[in-house]
Amino acid sequence: MKSKASGFTSFLFVLPYLIMFTLFLVFPLIYGIYISFHDWNLISPIHPFVGLENYSAIFISGTPENRVFLNGLKNTAQFVIYSVPLLVIVGLGLAMLVNSLPEKIRGFFRTAYFLPYAISVSVIAVLWLWMLDSNSGLMNQFLNSLGMDSIPWLTRLPFAWISLVIATVWWTIGFNMIIFINALNEVPEDLYEAAEIDGASKWHKFLHITLPTIRPIMIFVIITSTIASFNVYGQPYLMTRGGPGESTEVLLMGIVQQAFQLRQMGSAAAMAMLMALIMIVISVGQFLVTRSGERKEKNNA
Amino acid sequence: MRKSKIINIVFASILAILFLIPLVWMVSTSFKSDFEAIGGGTFFPQEFTFQNYISTLTSTSVPILRWLFNSLFVGFAGVAIVVVIDSMAAYALARLDVPFKKVLFPLFVSTLMIPWVITFLPLYQQFSNLGLLNTYAPLILPYSANAFGVFLLYQFFRSFPKELEEAARMDGANKWQIFMKVVIPSARPLIATLAIFTFMAIYNDFLWPLVTTSTPEMRTVTTGIAIMQQGSFVSSYGQLMALTTLATIPILIVFLIGQKWFIRGITQSGIK
Repeated sequence: MKSKASGFTSFLFVLPYLIMFTLFLVFPLIYGIYISFHDWNLISPIHPFVGLENYSAIFISGTPENRVFLNGLKNTAQFVIYSVPLLVIVGLGLAMLVNSLPEKIRGFFRTAYFLPYAISVSVIAVLWLWMLDSNSGLMNQFLNSLGMDSIPWLTRLPFAWISLVIATVWWTIGFNMIIFINALNEVPEDLYEAAEIDGASKWHKFLHITLPTIRPIMIFVIITSTIASFNVYGQPYLMTRGGPGESTEVLLMGIVQQAFQLRQMGSAAAMAMLMALIMIVISVGQFLVTRSGERKEKNNA
Repeated sequence: MRKSKIINIVFASILAILFLIPLVWMVSTSFKSDFEAIGGGTFFPQEFTFQNYISTLTSTSVPILRWLFNSLFVGFAGVAIVVVIDSMAAYALARLDVPFKKVLFPLFVSTLMIPWVITFLPLYQQFSNLGLLNTYAPLILPYSANAFGVFLLYQFFRSFPKELEEAARMDGANKWQIFMKVVIPSARPLIATLAIFTFMAIYNDFLWPLVTTSTPEMRTVTTGIAIMQQGSFVSSYGQLMALTTLATIPILIVFLIGQKWFIRGITQSGIK
């Protein structure tokens, strides 16, 4: 039955995707490594080979590249640390809240919490800039009406971070909530029933049945939220413009500036490689840590 | 027991109001007069006006209709390409005698782990070399390399019943006819999932269209609004809100209609 001709016609089905895959993923991947080994000025036609210089410049303290990268990394790391726990815990909390409601009205609340996710980052930024405006913004009007002072939401620390995190949680939390709702629905009902017979409290059931059962999904949400927060760009670019000073200038903003304002494509590509490497290491690390925790628990049981 | 249920509903309602306030405020302000929009104090417009929409739609410095057209065009074009090439590849890899398929599928799927930032700058350089910056090409083509759709559909085609294919083969249908007449119709819900995922990703993408477009008429809605907001082209809040409302309507419609499939895609991607 199997013939060369049949294999060929089958291959034709894969070919269109394979072409796109090669042109827009494999090729840029290799090209990016190539660019990072060159002194690649965006507007100059000549790109001298410099070996690992673009990389070493990032690590030598005192160089402009080193400063941009470290400042960006520090700020991105802060955003990750502030936002990821909220994105995971609030996401799970919302999912449990929605699931505790009568079935008839669940759909409405699920959609309400998920709706902001559909909106683009520039609309999000316009809305929050306006709500957080120090004079006429809704937030400060509300604080004033309670007799409290206005807060410089976007121009002072730690408020700039608080604003960025609030806007991000509001915008994207629905995505994690949906994943958790599904995971919660997969928990076998008889586990809860058995625990109820033993007289287990709600908290006990959550700790010993819900959490262990949804653990794989939890790991997935932690890793994807970390990756998403690592890639943060639009919110600080549009809402705080990296300020106050450079304190919310995230790594991706530094890389984009290096590439398009300073036109140093080579060193920007090297920074992008390092950023990706850090992301991969963190993802694998999170996976291994949560996995080993799982094994320990099993051994103890 | 009943009491805790009521507390939950009240709490959920307060949260829902907090989640929706920014959006309701956006729409309500877009119908306010300038004076009322700036002054604040009122949540719903006292004096209902379409003026903000009229001046936004007729403004020459803010070509919102052109941006909407661009976003919808690249969104639909991207979806068309992704749906066609992904379903063909996924079906062939799952069910046909493709040479090297044991290598190709893991290769495709493994690229899902590659952070997107790696290809971002070289892709820009690539389109720049080809003289294709500020055209529709970079706004459509790169999205088609994503392996998510191949992965999603592959799993479905793996479990697709063989009997249906065989019955069609008995009737003398060739691979392509089987694919078009038997396989694709059965995969419709998943294709809808892939379509809405892709559309939302393209419509809402920000950094990539921001760097690859440079003239006002090539901007997408997302980048156009960002540029305009940064350059303060629009002075009145009412107009700004009319603009963001217009930008949000198409994606909100797509989202509300496709929510069911979108949710299914999210949960599928979580199962690994």
